[in-house]
Amino acid sequence: MELIEIYIQEVTRRLPEKIREDIALELRSTIADMLPDNYQEADVKKVLEKLGSPVALANGYRDRPMHLIGPRYYDIYVTLLKMIFPIAIIVSLISLIAEYMIGYSGEKAVLPVVLDIIGIGIWRLFEMAIQVFFWLTAVFALIERMDNGKEQQPLTASLKKWTPDDLKHISYIPKNKAITKFEVFGALLWTAIWATLYFYANQLVGVYEGNGERLEFVIPALNQEVLLHYWILVVIVIGSEIALSLYKLIKGQWTNRIAIANTLLQVFATIVFLLIVLNPNVINSDFITYLMDLFHITAGKVKAWIVCIGIIGFIVSAAISVYDGFRKAKKS
Amino acid sequence: MSNLLNSLITELRRGTLTLAVLSQLQTPQYGYSLVQLLEASGIAIDQSTLYPLLRRLEKQELVLSSWDTSESRPRKYYVLSDYGKEIFLQLKEEWMKNSKELYRLLKGENEDGIN
Repeated sequence: MELIEIYIQEVTRRLPEKIREDIALELRSTIADMLPDNYQEADVKKVLEKLGSPVALANGYRDRPMHLIGPRYYDIYVTLLKMIFPIAIIVSLISLIAEYMIGYSGEKAVLPVVLDIIGIGIWRLFEMAIQVFFWLTAVFALIERMDNGKEQQPLTASLKKWTPDDLKHISYIPKNKAITKFEVFGALLWTAIWATLYFYANQLVGVYEGNGERLEFVIPALNQEVLLHYWILVVIVIGSEIALSLYKLIKGQWTNRIAIANTLLQVFATIVFLLIVLNPNVINSDFITYLMDLFHITAGKVKAWIVCIGIIGFIVSAAISVYDGFRKAKKS
Repeated sequence: MSNLLNSLITELRRGTLTLAVLSQLQTPQYGYSLVQLLEASGIAIDQSTLYPLLRRLEKQELVLSSWDTSESRPRKYYVLSDYGKEIFLQLKEEWMKNSKELYRLLKGENEDGIN
């Protein structure tokens, strides 16, 4: 008797409240039917063995699936996971760097700060990965349980049943036109780096002097106040670069439209750069003096050199980027 | 018997179980009497699947259930609903057709000497 009640309890405690009693009653009567008139414990065991594991039996009574994410949602779940991970990584890296730069007082040496960022960055990424994984999985597990449809076909990324027409939305991507995730990631990272340098130029860009153990930042190269006059234009460039990178990530291959957008962006960025670099006050006078002493040339020549190298370097890299974009878009 | 063969056989039987149960519920049956009926016809049934199956059929409105408390032990009886009868006939038809086709297929294979 004892065993039977324990068995029934083991089954029903896994079931929703409202059907427990009915199933307990039915099970009790069924087990009694199966037992001989004067039964021993051995008989009870034999009967319970026939009914099988209480977990399996309870699961049979329940409609809910015994898996977290079934075949219907698995594919789209994995696709989303792969898409969200890199984006989340980039965003958290950028925010981390920005956060550090804002809190950076200029007192600490740069190298320890960088090491600190790397250390905390690894921890942050780990934390972020767990968050993304948890929430996405939780959402999908919930969807799996809310979906009452009997349909078992896997869903496509558009959340509809697959039809041959879906193939039309997937473009065949030749290797040489493909935009790799690595490329997009690199571009975003580059944006983050130069943006940080721009906003914290007076603490990062300039002359470093080693005094024994550590590097010390002595002379800023640029005049931060003058630099920040252009912040609206710079923010527009940053925003456009991020937008273009994400668009590239979604498209996955070079198209004429992307090449044109890239050209516009490069032209705009070049104009902004020229505006800044041609401002006569942008270079810190201490820095010019420092270079004058270093190379034994006049202040005018120092300025001319810096501006020339800057402009030529910027225009050449912009031109290469524009040309490369069209070249990749053309290939077929 | 190999594990693979076992799982294939289970898979083969799974679909037929519903049909077997429906066929026996033209008259009211309770859980254990159904097991005995099926076993008498040589159909081995895993009881841990049968009882939940009965509930599912009830939820799908293919069978109706009622508690009989007149005897010493209360029993839950299941019987086909009108809808259940209709579905059962169609399923049966489908099964007959399928098994004939499959039989022909398997027999043909035999005659060709493949097996």
